Amino acid sequence: MKKFLRMVSLGLATVMAVGLTACGGGSKSPDGTITMQIWDTAQRDGMQALADAYHEQNPDVTVEIQVTSWDEYWTKLEAAATSNTLPDVFWMHTNYILQYADNGMLADLTDLYADESATYYTDHYSDVSISNASGSDGKIYGVPKDKDTVGLVYNKEMFDAANIAYPDETWTWDTLVEASQAIYDATGKYGYMAYADDQLGYWNFVYQNGGYILNEDKTAAGFDVPETIEAMKFYIGLQSYDWCPDQNYFAETAPGNAFFSEQGAMFLEGDWNIMSEMKNYPEMQGKWDVAVLPSSPDGGRATISNGLCYATSANNQNNEVVLDFLRFLGSEEGQRIQGESGAAIPAYEGLEETWITAFDQFDYDLNLDAFIEMFDYSVQSVNDKSRPNWKSKVTDELLKIYGGSVDIDTGLANINQIINDAIADAA
Amino acid sequence: MNQEASLRRSRAIGKGLTYFFLITGSLIMIFPFVWMILTSLKTLSESMQIPPTILPAKPVFENFTYAVTSLPFVNLYINTIVLIFFRVLCAIAFSSMAGYAFAKLRFRGKGLLFGLVLVQMMMPSQIFIIPQYQMLASLSLTNTLFALVFPGLVSAFGTFFLRQSYLGIPNEIGEAAYLDGCNQWQTFTKVMAPLTGNSVAALTIFTAVFAYADLMWPLVVNTDINMMTLSSGLATLKGQFTTNYPVLMAGSLLAMIPMLILYLFFQKQFVEGIAMTGGK
Amino acid sequence: MFKKQTLAEKREQRWAYLMIAPTIIGLLVLNYYPLFDTIRLSFSRTQTFGKSTFNGIENYVTMFSTPEFWKATWNTIWFCILTVPVGIAIALLVAVMLNAKVKFKSGFRAIYFLPMVVAPAAVAMVWRWMFNGQYGIINTILGKPINWLTDPKTAVIACAIVAIWSALGYDAVLLMSGLQNISKTYYEAADIDGASRVRQFFSITLPMISPTLFVTLIMRLMASLKVYDLIYMMIDTSNPVLPDVQSLMYLFYREAFVAGNKGYASAICIWTIALIGIVTAVQFVGQKKWVNYEV
Repeated sequence: MKKFLRMVSLGLATVMAVGLTACGGGSKSPDGTITMQIWDTAQRDGMQALADAYHEQNPDVTVEIQVTSWDEYWTKLEAAATSNTLPDVFWMHTNYILQYADNGMLADLTDLYADESATYYTDHYSDVSISNASGSDGKIYGVPKDKDTVGLVYNKEMFDAANIAYPDETWTWDTLVEASQAIYDATGKYGYMAYADDQLGYWNFVYQNGGYILNEDKTAAGFDVPETIEAMKFYIGLQSYDWCPDQNYFAETAPGNAFFSEQGAMFLEGDWNIMSEMKNYPEMQGKWDVAVLPSSPDGGRATISNGLCYATSANNQNNEVVLDFLRFLGSEEGQRIQGESGAAIPAYEGLEETWITAFDQFDYDLNLDAFIEMFDYSVQSVNDKSRPNWKSKVTDELLKIYGGSVDIDTGLANINQIINDAIADAA
Repeated sequence: MNQEASLRRSRAIGKGLTYFFLITGSLIMIFPFVWMILTSLKTLSESMQIPPTILPAKPVFENFTYAVTSLPFVNLYINTIVLIFFRVLCAIAFSSMAGYAFAKLRFRGKGLLFGLVLVQMMMPSQIFIIPQYQMLASLSLTNTLFALVFPGLVSAFGTFFLRQSYLGIPNEIGEAAYLDGCNQWQTFTKVMAPLTGNSVAALTIFTAVFAYADLMWPLVVNTDINMMTLSSGLATLKGQFTTNYPVLMAGSLLAMIPMLILYLFFQKQFVEGIAMTGGK
Repeated sequence: MFKKQTLAEKREQRWAYLMIAPTIIGLLVLNYYPLFDTIRLSFSRTQTFGKSTFNGIENYVTMFSTPEFWKATWNTIWFCILTVPVGIAIALLVAVMLNAKVKFKSGFRAIYFLPMVVAPAAVAMVWRWMFNGQYGIINTILGKPINWLTDPKTAVIACAIVAIWSALGYDAVLLMSGLQNISKTYYEAADIDGASRVRQFFSITLPMISPTLFVTLIMRLMASLKVYDLIYMMIDTSNPVLPDVQSLMYLFYREAFVAGNKGYASAICIWTIALIGIVTAVQFVGQKKWVNYEV
């Protein structure tokens, strides 16, 4: 039946093929063309620079960059994986890598640099970066691309108006609350904008407090651990202050937009957004800066560090053209080009500065070192094989807590249950 | 006599009320467009002032710059036009043939086959996306213009719609042509099809509007932003600028322009075209 | 069963099959194959990457015992109740007014029809912006702080307003075509009898336009029961009111494409198609009571 359908659709295709070849771009890569799929428009230029550099060294290989938006990227990638038509090279995210790797969709890249050095990965990449690119079996399924941390972005003018010191490494959760109150009292603007988000929100607080989302071996959720519960109550409770907008506000206005239109003084932001925010809000340049995250009251530090990697389909396990390009992406040169584009901090250790130099084009300096410093105590972004299945359900439950239709204790217990069920289901 | 005077007075009041409602309604219909233009000329900070300013304090055009640098508008215009052109072409060619056959020819299984056409109109289009994507992927045809057109190769709605208009043509016309020695194909192409010009124009416009509005399919089937259409490009812009409304409004305005021009050109057919579906 | 066909009839039949072939084959491949696949999946336990195992009616059992599903069904029906009668009533009013002798008729028509040429994504964006609880122009005009899109009571209403606004011109022009088919002589006769305009509307216009009204109703109902795009673009997944607003097809989207539950999502889809089928069938039976085909 499938074969018949295929023939029929081929027939339908030929009906129009003549009319379309003139204007349509051919898609099946002719020899020497590698397609690379990514989801971030802001990094398109950086990826293009990599493609150009590689083409210069290997004139017979052309790399074509394709960008799509986040949601559709995963819908599409799954459909492509199912029908065995994955692009040659694509970005992989920690949310999904275990699902893809553990189901045999990705090529094992552990030995990619075997000819060069047996310890290439561990020599040049941090443990967090490598585990962000590994499957549950410990093998490496992606070439680490970048690494990131989450920092505290703040509005200097509002701090000046309230006559208080800018955030620094001495800050704790209590300072965060006090400063927010002072700014609200002095300017009527919002203080720290705490919204329902995991990576840019409560995850950081949970780990600072010594709690966890998933246990070490990823067999159970941690929402029944006292430290986690305490941090969640603190974080969710922030919205009950006058100086923090409620979740209804954030459903209509992204915190970044509220910040850059000078409605609020602070929010958590990932380093990968800083470059486009500098470019998109020129009138705000000089008015804001970044700092390390505050610690928990007893000094616990943490920031969530995620990292993407470049992967290829299991079918390309022995495709030397693709493998060579991947090797280039993970080389010092490839990582340097990426860093200099300013899009993200290279995963390659020792190249963090290249990302900072990309900001030399602007007239004033941000304290970008804050993002780099935090790698010392960064925590790997939460993931397990079943994360795609529980992610949206956990968000739904969290929103119920924010909306007040579930009390916080019941809600957290439900979240714990949702994750544990998903883990059991995927086993 | 008295009664007539009061009737005339109530007619005058009725007239006044009619204009009142029409003008109020027009304002409601047009206001979002006005607000779109005004917002697109404000800075993000100004757009988020309380209370909102009506006119921009000082019109800025940067938002259009951001929109243009984020999206390859020229490609989007071309893709959208190509998409519309081929979907319309297919809908007209295949639906005319099928509509004619269903309306005028006798054959076994007609009821059942026409049932297939009708039931298709009840299905939500989301269920087609993944299977259709996989068909194209297995033919390595994603990221092409053909992929954009693919789901619209045939049109159940078009078939249903043109069948209605063939039903309206008296059978005698076809029979006369047949007696003149035309075969079925000639009767169809030379005699019957030309009589459905109005409906074909209407179908053109319907198909164009639906193709233009199609959001999910272009997003899923074509990853390359250069191969997207205006609607899906706008969704991408939203992914990038989240709730930065001045930029989103600027992008929306830029996306509207081609359709607006077409609309102003074809306004008459547009309106009459839609009127056709009301026929029995 | 079949009569024996003459040679001419056979030839006619051969032509007919040739002419419907592209459409029927296209429908089978593009639409019916996915439909049957959806039906099959609705009886399967699915995992990522297309693996599935038959599990009988389990998805349906889960579905019928999930409050979220019933809520989505009710949301869909409530959306139809809000949009269909009100939308069509307003469209009819506009159509009647535009059919009367008014100046700038084509100008008015152009304005009422304008929303159809705007990409739905753009329509949703501008209305979301106008409905914004903090910075929205609508609250400024009303002088009241209403959380249009984040209050469960008003969020559906806001979506319905946008839906009506987008479809109004389309429905109005459709109904106008029906109005133009009514012969003037009926109204002239009524004028001589001294019947008021309101009376004329109910005794002449409404019965005469009922076939067109019926077509409009069916089309609008089908579209409203399938609603997804609009709500998806108006209500973010970070919005706490989502459970109170999401329609069946929105739930389908989230289960199939976000949570990766294709089997369960397929069951939701089959239920939606059944619902549309039932509603449409009821309309076709019910039309005998009020649709007037005598003219």
